[in-house]
Amino acid sequence: MDALSTATHAGPGARSAALDAINLTDADVYVPGVPHELYKRLRHEAPVFWHTAQADGPGFWAITKYEDLVRISRDPRTFSSARRSALYRETEPEDLANMQLMMLNMDPPKHTRLRGLINKGFTPRMVALLELRIREAATKIIDAVADKGECDFVANIAAELPLQVIAEMMGIPQADRHMIFDWSNQLIGIDDPDYGGSLETGKQVSMQMYMYANQLAVERKDKAGDDLISVLMNAELDGEKLTELEFDLFFLLLAVAGNETTRNLISGGMLALIEHPDERAKLIADPSRIASGVEEMLRWVSPVMHFRRTAMRDVEIRGQKIREGDKVMIYYISANRDEEIFPEPYRFDVGRTPNEHVAFGIGEHFCLGSNLARMEIRVMFEEVLRRLPDIELAGPAARLRSNFINGIKRMPVRFTPERQRSGAGA
Amino acid sequence: MKIRVDYDLCEGNAVCMKLCPEVFEVGDDDRARVINKNPGEDLRAKVEAAVRRCPRQALAIED
Repeated sequence: MDALSTATHAGPGARSAALDAINLTDADVYVPGVPHELYKRLRHEAPVFWHTAQADGPGFWAITKYEDLVRISRDPRTFSSARRSALYRETEPEDLANMQLMMLNMDPPKHTRLRGLINKGFTPRMVALLELRIREAATKIIDAVADKGECDFVANIAAELPLQVIAEMMGIPQADRHMIFDWSNQLIGIDDPDYGGSLETGKQVSMQMYMYANQLAVERKDKAGDDLISVLMNAELDGEKLTELEFDLFFLLLAVAGNETTRNLISGGMLALIEHPDERAKLIADPSRIASGVEEMLRWVSPVMHFRRTAMRDVEIRGQKIREGDKVMIYYISANRDEEIFPEPYRFDVGRTPNEHVAFGIGEHFCLGSNLARMEIRVMFEEVLRRLPDIELAGPAARLRSNFINGIKRMPVRFTPERQRSGAGA
Repeated sequence: MKIRVDYDLCEGNAVCMKLCPEVFEVGDDDRARVINKNPGEDLRAKVEAAVRRCPRQALAIED
């Protein structure tokens, strides 16, 4: 890493040696924080960058510019999510077929049809119908901590709401929600020892989730409702119903995607407001600006930092020749700091307009839960900023050890207990 | 300007309607409808913004 800082005034030979030293895949690099300097360097010096092979996988193209990420995302026929999955981790041949049953790892036309099965549950209209229940859940969550004066923001506030909402939508009993929480942590945090991370754990947890999903399905079989699980079970694809495995993998995707990402946005967004008190003050003074603040939090945090594609043919981007079969990593975390798109990209500005971030992706695989996520986040910050406006760190935030998810595991906070606040003058 | 909606992609996000209500409408069926089949050049900037911002990239201008 020292080589990078001394290379700025060196000639092209030394510069390319310094670029070769860049490693975007080392999870340890992300523990102190997202390595924005590395991404910035690539955007400026090598926007379509051949990243050298690492112990856990082959060399790949690192795409760090907004425009290129959009182009790639819009072209699933050239840049496939199915061929070797959409994940950074290399998949064993025996596991690939199972991965390809998950919507995330599908291409059109199969993806199109599967997505069409459940997207009606996630439209702005459907989500608007949930607002009351979401606000009730957020209120209860704050009620539980409001007079304590301190808590772990992640476990007690950020994690609770998305868990409750997706459990509600999927008809999962409230009593089981913490099981989903634990499983989800173990699946996403497989790099992080705190979560008992290992590929073996991941497999075991997946099996437990499948068994749980099957049980829910059996219970729902004769009592079909309009919850997501009932919808999935009755859904048809190519005239056939989802297989048990397809159903299980779908459940896995929703239980993880609907939980982890939103939690990390709420935590990361809160941290951004704590670190930028002027911006926080703007939202407290005028809560109608919170929606705009949420968009800036999305750009700022970009909880999903990357996804992967595989080239289906030879294609050229910015003069770089990508070969058929090449691994291509698209970095949302970098696209959302692209200086050509976002003036002063390293400035957290709750009023940023326009704010055409790609934190939810763009195109075929655009986040299905985006409207639900926006609703949850907005409501949560409306409640937190109104009831715990002086919330501050009581200790350092502990970051997730991951090159994939920009996450916070623990964030001790303190605040004036609500009872004390309401006793104070107006 | 002729505008095409790819109904394999359109999911009723209604970003188009928000950016250009003169041309796009999303109803109870959660699908975008082009309500002005031949908008004038004065609307081009707004239509182009809708095309660019559609989260699923479901819109296209066919001149």
